[in-house]
Amino acid sequence: MLTALLAAVAVWSLLVGAFPAPVPVVTGGLLAVVLALHRHEHGAVLHMDHLARNSHWSKVNPMLKTMSCLLLLCLCLMARTVWPPLSLAIVLAVLSRAGGVRFRTYQALLAAPAAFLSVSALALVWTYSASDSGWISIRFGTGYLVIGAAAQATARLVTARALGAVSCLYFLSLSTPLPEVLEVLRRLHAPAVVVDLALLIYRYIFLLLATCETMRDAAASRLGFGGLRRSVRTTGIIYGNLLARSFRRAQACFDAMESRCCTGSIRFWTRPKPVRPMHAAVLCLLVGGMVAALVCGG
Amino acid sequence: MIKGKKMDEILRFERVWYRYEEGRMALTDFSVTVRAGERIAVLGENGAGKSTFFLLANGVLRPEKGTVLWNGVPIGRDVKSLNALRKGVGLVFQDPDVQILAGTVAEEISFGPVNLGLSLAQVSRRVEAALDTFALQPYRDRAPQSLSGGEKKRVTLADAAAMDPQLLLLDEPAASLDPVHARQLEEYLALLSRRGLALMVATHDVDFAWRWADRVLVFHNGTLAADGGPTQIFEQEELLRRCGLEQPVLIRIARILGLKRAPRTVEELEQEWRV
Repeated sequence: MLTALLAAVAVWSLLVGAFPAPVPVVTGGLLAVVLALHRHEHGAVLHMDHLARNSHWSKVNPMLKTMSCLLLLCLCLMARTVWPPLSLAIVLAVLSRAGGVRFRTYQALLAAPAAFLSVSALALVWTYSASDSGWISIRFGTGYLVIGAAAQATARLVTARALGAVSCLYFLSLSTPLPEVLEVLRRLHAPAVVVDLALLIYRYIFLLLATCETMRDAAASRLGFGGLRRSVRTTGIIYGNLLARSFRRAQACFDAMESRCCTGSIRFWTRPKPVRPMHAAVLCLLVGGMVAALVCGG
Repeated sequence: MIKGKKMDEILRFERVWYRYEEGRMALTDFSVTVRAGERIAVLGENGAGKSTFFLLANGVLRPEKGTVLWNGVPIGRDVKSLNALRKGVGLVFQDPDVQILAGTVAEEISFGPVNLGLSLAQVSRRVEAALDTFALQPYRDRAPQSLSGGEKKRVTLADAAAMDPQLLLLDEPAASLDPVHARQLEEYLALLSRRGLALMVATHDVDFAWRWADRVLVFHNGTLAADGGPTQIFEQEELLRRCGLEQPVLIRIARILGLKRAPRTVEELEQEWRV
């Protein structure tokens, strides 16, 4: 609900004055309604992993996908007007839908970055000034809180770029399981220790989540969450236990790796996913379209 | 250096001692010899030293005193010699989540073969063979966190088998498996045994040990309390009592019915009873 409100105020602030009167209010209101209807879902990590594994795009060569997404992200950041990044965000949402991610799921997943984007947009668009110039000004202490035309234009561009960039990363994470992205990073000569650590963390997220859930259920079954004070205490104990358990488990996991002749680096054999002409064509079209939009649209 | 190597001996513990970090003895003056193709059940109470024995046999732990010999060659503390032992001895951990590491089943199985430094073609052959053997082809691209307990156990078996060991150690493999998956596990054990692998299974299930094993090791307080054929071991009621074990149900039934020979399976019992 808070995200919906924030986003509505942010959009209104970004548009007010620059567009005819009803546009900012209607756009902000619509966004608030859409965001409020589908609330942010918990367990987003599990959800995204599941979606990535079942996406139609998961068959595409991960190197091709990662490089295209990075290229699109860079192009997005080079945009001088809001339209190319906004169009890209829409196209990528549609492509994710084609991959099997429903719009409402996509939008629910987008709620978390939307909150951050809204806060940043508000901070960029409102400035403190001594005079009451600009589209909107509110008296605050000895000066005014103002929305100026220049600040608003900059904020619009930054927000659009950020939205486009987030869409690129979402398209990648909703179509590529993390281990494949890590394998791409390894091929690009990212430090082995970073990739290995990321892989272990990825595996452990699921194990620790499952352990935490079991402990929470066990505590709940013994009325561990009756009342605020007891809930806080129980939660503390659970997290403490989780830490102790993860230490023990890390040792056992290390033993298991050693028992299979692991001597430091974690490597697997992955079945190659060849680059198919169709996939390459779609992604080239996307990148080409973005370049054309930047050249023509500024 | 090869000393006293018998034809079919693969693993030998010679007067091995091991102490836990907190100072308590885990194994005391422990000696045992494992021969190729044996089916060994390892019995004993919790904390009797079974898991420590497995970790020592696989080279994850190093003995404080004494020697572990693999195919007659003493294992040193260097990585090369430890890896020779780990290559020959596969270990399936009790908790599959401790063992499973990769993002998909096929990748998980490839971890050991890749570590052995095999070529990509060889790794892929071994992965495919293990996927086929353990009926895991339909699961090959699944994430381990989406598998059931029985499926995870099968993945860990495939993990160890893909390294092509001569001896496979399984730490309480049937723990928390439902009857269907437990029976399936026994079928896989029989399959591996037919392929000539020596198998060593730590278990609390005396009925399983009676029907499956051709040799039984009984651990008690970090020592080997008994080592012999199942008939010889399970007839010693005093030993079983001392080590917190029970007689298998089929032996007790055979005694009640006055049968000359205790049957190993219910089917055998049925036959004997009809005779």
